[in-house]
Amino acid sequence: MDERSAWIALASVDGVGETIFGQLLAEFGSASSALAAANDVRIDNWVKRRRALDARPPINGPTLGALRSVAANPRAPLDDIAERGLWTLTPLDAHYPRRLRDLDPPPAVINGLGDATILDRAHAVAVVGTRTPTAAGRALASRVATRLAESGAVVVSGLAIGIDGAAHAAVLAQGGATVGVIGGGHDHPGPRAHQRLRAEVVAKGGAVISEYHPAVPAKLGTFPRRNRIIAALGDATIVVEAPVRSGALITARQAAELGRPVLVAPGRIGDWAVAGSLTFLRESPAHVLVGLDEMVEDLGLLEPVPEADPDEPKLPIDALVAMLGATEQVVARRLLRGPAVLDVLVADTELPPAVVSSAVTILLMRGWAQSVGPAYTTAGALAR
Amino acid sequence: MLATLVTAVINGLRGELVRVEIDVAPGLPVCHIVGLPDTALSEARERVRGAIRNSGFVYPMSRITVNLAPADRRKRGSAYDLAIAVGIVVASGQIRRGGGSWALLGELSLSGTVEPIPGVLPMVATLSRQGYRRVIVPAANLAEAKLVSGVEAIGVDGLDDAARLVAGPRGRAAGRAARRIPVELSGPRTSTRHGTGRHGTALAAQLEPVDLVDVRGQGHARWALEVALAGGHNLLMVGPPGAGKTLLARTIPGLLPPLDDDEALELTVIESVAGMLPAHGDDGLRRERPFRAPHHTSSYAALVGGGPALLPGEATLAHHGVLFLDELAEFDRPALDALRQPLEEGVVTIARANGHVRYPARFQLVAAMNPCRCGYYNDDRRPCKCPKGDPDRYVRRVSGPLIDRIDLQIEMSRVPSDTLLRGPTPESSAEVRRRISAARAIALKRNDGRSNARLAATALAYACHLDSEADGTLAELGDMYHLTARSLHRMLRVARTIADLAGHDAVTKVDVLSAHNLRDPGALFQNRLAA
Repeated sequence: MDERSAWIALASVDGVGETIFGQLLAEFGSASSALAAANDVRIDNWVKRRRALDARPPINGPTLGALRSVAANPRAPLDDIAERGLWTLTPLDAHYPRRLRDLDPPPAVINGLGDATILDRAHAVAVVGTRTPTAAGRALASRVATRLAESGAVVVSGLAIGIDGAAHAAVLAQGGATVGVIGGGHDHPGPRAHQRLRAEVVAKGGAVISEYHPAVPAKLGTFPRRNRIIAALGDATIVVEAPVRSGALITARQAAELGRPVLVAPGRIGDWAVAGSLTFLRESPAHVLVGLDEMVEDLGLLEPVPEADPDEPKLPIDALVAMLGATEQVVARRLLRGPAVLDVLVADTELPPAVVSSAVTILLMRGWAQSVGPAYTTAGALAR
Repeated sequence: MLATLVTAVINGLRGELVRVEIDVAPGLPVCHIVGLPDTALSEARERVRGAIRNSGFVYPMSRITVNLAPADRRKRGSAYDLAIAVGIVVASGQIRRGGGSWALLGELSLSGTVEPIPGVLPMVATLSRQGYRRVIVPAANLAEAKLVSGVEAIGVDGLDDAARLVAGPRGRAAGRAARRIPVELSGPRTSTRHGTGRHGTALAAQLEPVDLVDVRGQGHARWALEVALAGGHNLLMVGPPGAGKTLLARTIPGLLPPLDDDEALELTVIESVAGMLPAHGDDGLRRERPFRAPHHTSSYAALVGGGPALLPGEATLAHHGVLFLDELAEFDRPALDALRQPLEEGVVTIARANGHVRYPARFQLVAAMNPCRCGYYNDDRRPCKCPKGDPDRYVRRVSGPLIDRIDLQIEMSRVPSDTLLRGPTPESSAEVRRRISAARAIALKRNDGRSNARLAATALAYACHLDSEADGTLAELGDMYHLTARSLHRMLRVARTIADLAGHDAVTKVDVLSAHNLRDPGALFQNRLAA
């Protein structure tokens, strides 16, 4: 068995994380010899030796059992992966995502669906936030992600409900590529509600990846660990809404530790939704996200890539709005001032509800508006 | 001696004839009631004995056999009391039967007074069809009995009155007419069943009507409600507590046009059977469209009907009107799913091992619910306190097929205090009702008496003439959102109503576009999953 296969087999053992993986490599020289050792007494001798030194075994009973059974049949994990149509990257591979090599140690294995090459795109930005956002947070996540996609950056997030989902969905709506890092193996890909979203991420040129063997279920500890991959895959991390103790803050902290820029969207003081974000801003070298134009500039992203359709050159927003019908213009101008629910649109535009509804539908059809919860916000060419 | 009289029983919304045969023969003094009586009916024995004695007649010390024919039909209730008592009085020779055949309906109290019973209207109607020309009914039920033409209905207060009528002017009516006034220790006498109904009415009464002039903001939701009521479309309102969902629902009674004659008669029969006929207009018919608001703790039987007596439920009581289900997701799931049949077919069928009844239930469903258990999912100002994933579970408590039958789905958010305090004064119910009535009239005339919501798919092409622009828009929407034929039809029906409200003959582009936006399960039932 070649070293790469042995590497994948060894990493698939339930309970073997980077630490044990590293120790095994250090002790036995290679993954294949570690697997060979696991078939005989050498592994027991190692455990005994380490225990004498540390008073603590380096590896617990169940993990040792799992290691032995994988060592007895090292092809099984490879078959598991192949069966599910996943691709695998290890640090042994030349095209292992370069950003992940910044992690110490880098994940031993990345299993994925979709396009592996986008992990190495020139620009990638992580967008993270709470699972229970406000409508405003959701809208902001959409706008941030839309703008990033327009600027040609790959948006990386965790495929969780809330901010993650809004970011992924916005990128897809924009026709961009996005990467979802899930917190368990591919057999346990996260919220069932996102089944369609995940399929779409893969289908539209993005990727869904996991460092876990497909059968490993997501557990309490796997999500924070997964966050370091999100942080590493982005050139920068944007925190949209993070209440106190939000998992998004773990991602932000790890990004800061990797020396990557972190942009935090501020909010009202005392607002529960951004309590964690504000504390983080105070305690870290993070920057404040003040606007989408500034974001693009701060992140050194390319200027917005021109629209794919040459017939529709990028026009100033006023010119775009002027192309709309009279009532649509009124509604669009109102939406440009901020997200609004239908009642607010009716009240602010002083148009009959039927007319407002029809105008909103037209904007939705053109992709110039999108619904975020009960509210509507500008999208596509009108987003800014 | 043998006496035969006629009375009736309720089965579903129809009355059925029952013959009461009483034989008083020498023997040990016992009273047998045969012919599948239920408990209330078996207890008639005791009521009849008390009533006969307290009306100045003598309860015969003989062997009394009461046969209720047809013997194979199960009988229930207390409507036979009067017929049995009069029969015993006749069979024991205390009065001589006068000419003609009488049918008698009524429950007796021990004092001999005749108490009102449910279902008098359909029972009298049946008796009339079977050729009976004279019917004695409790005085309190006289108004509804008089709705039946071709029958002389006479209301009586006591057993002695009834006996006198049966005896006729030449019959020797014994018995003192001195019915004793019952001593009431429980306060003034109120009619027990009349007007108070059995179930749900307590809450229905709590929902005091509100005028639209008192509903500030919510311009979109007000319009959605207008469209719903004008076209008979089912409506679902989703929003946080305090958004005004229930308030808006309370304006419904003030927005509905009155019932027409046929509908009014049908409703009066239903209320008669349910034992909840309050006093109505001059002609005794119920004219207001029903608005039923059962509480979310209502049982399956209360909602769709049933129970041991197979009584009509809220779905039937809301026939030709509106059934408002507040806190939709809190309702018992089987009960909600049972509403699918009436929503589709306009009837409920209650099946039992020994037969089934069908009740009409063509109601319009208006429902309200919170977006999640705590109510603040997606709210701007307050965090949702639900555990992760719980909001989805909450929404899924309402089954897809039920949601699918709701044409209009809107999300509401709370009205800013600024609008509440200083917003412009909105339109009143009277103005909106005028538009609704006009649109309804247009639709009924064009659709052969059907509301737009009930337009068959085949009739849509005829009823919904699209102008050329609208035609293109419809096709574009269909392509863009991958609409199924069913969704397209639903959108067309709603667009038709919007056009009717605006007074257009042809359906325009704006009608189609705004109809599409009125079914915005968006955030709740689809986007929530995607975003």
